[in-house]
Amino acid sequence: MLPLSLLNAAQNKPMLVELKNGETFNGHLVNCDNFMNITLREVYQTSAEGDRFWKLKECYIRGSTIKYLRVPDTLLDAVKEEQNRAREAGRSARGSHVSGTGARGRGAPPRGTPVVQSREVYI
Amino acid sequence: MAGLQPYVDHRVLLILQDGRAIVGVMAGFDQKSNVVLSDTKERVYSMEEGVEEIPLGLYLVKGDQIVLIGELDEAADKAVDLSTIRAEPLPPIRY
Amino acid sequence: MLIFSVFKTLTDQTVSVELKNDLSITGTLKSVDQFLNIRLDNIKVQDEARHPHMMAVKNCFIRGSVVRYVQLPAEHVDTQLLEDATRRETAVQKR
Repeated sequence: MLPLSLLNAAQNKPMLVELKNGETFNGHLVNCDNFMNITLREVYQTSAEGDRFWKLKECYIRGSTIKYLRVPDTLLDAVKEEQNRAREAGRSARGSHVSGTGARGRGAPPRGTPVVQSREVYI
Repeated sequence: MAGLQPYVDHRVLLILQDGRAIVGVMAGFDQKSNVVLSDTKERVYSMEEGVEEIPLGLYLVKGDQIVLIGELDEAADKAVDLSTIRAEPLPPIRY
Repeated sequence: MLIFSVFKTLTDQTVSVELKNDLSITGTLKSVDQFLNIRLDNIKVQDEARHPHMMAVKNCFIRGSVVRYVQLPAEHVDTQLLEDATRRETAVQKR
């Protein structure tokens, strides 16, 4: 399982982010990208010494400054299940290709099946 | 990669640049050696008392923070009574 | 890239790795990658009494960026060959 899949699945979930300088941020994930740049909302910021606190409506954190993230335990199973579903869907989509009736040209979908396959399966 | 693949689904010890020692099950990793650990516990070492284990749940650690990942021999690990171990915490990385 | 090749010729040899947190680990070199990340087997930590953190760890992945030194087995490094290869590589780079 890829770390970034876990992060993507954490959208709208609570998380704790510790930066390399020791500051921590508690909030809900709004958005993230492949650099692990993230935006959080309803944030509680704590100083590295743990003695000062701030409340922020929203904040942006550059990925390169992050030490680690803590996310809810339940996300692990959610991501694993999602991956299994994607794998299954990929298998059956490929399967339907092979089992074409053969009368039509290569790659033509069997009559009655939607032409557009779920593309996200291959991404 | 000199391969983190053999560690997937195994219980590992992860040492961070700040000196922290974390044990957990490696759930995944990527090219930059970012790592996902589940069922993690931080092991806090001190000279005053035995090792304290603090449960931390599901963790995503950035690759550039990682010093070392070691496969825990579970039998050998269980044989150790952590409460009897006294040691200084590992020092942080100094460049 | 040259040093990567040298390390590859040393797989299954015993090396000692000193980290930037002053930890020294000896073990059998199992693999290395282009970042000089290293995998060691049958590891032994120097001064284990002071560093009991890795007691139950038998093999590990070390991030290349935290390595200070690697002690190589002299008999398995052809320094003459290495010098020549280094000259050739710098000659190529200058061109």
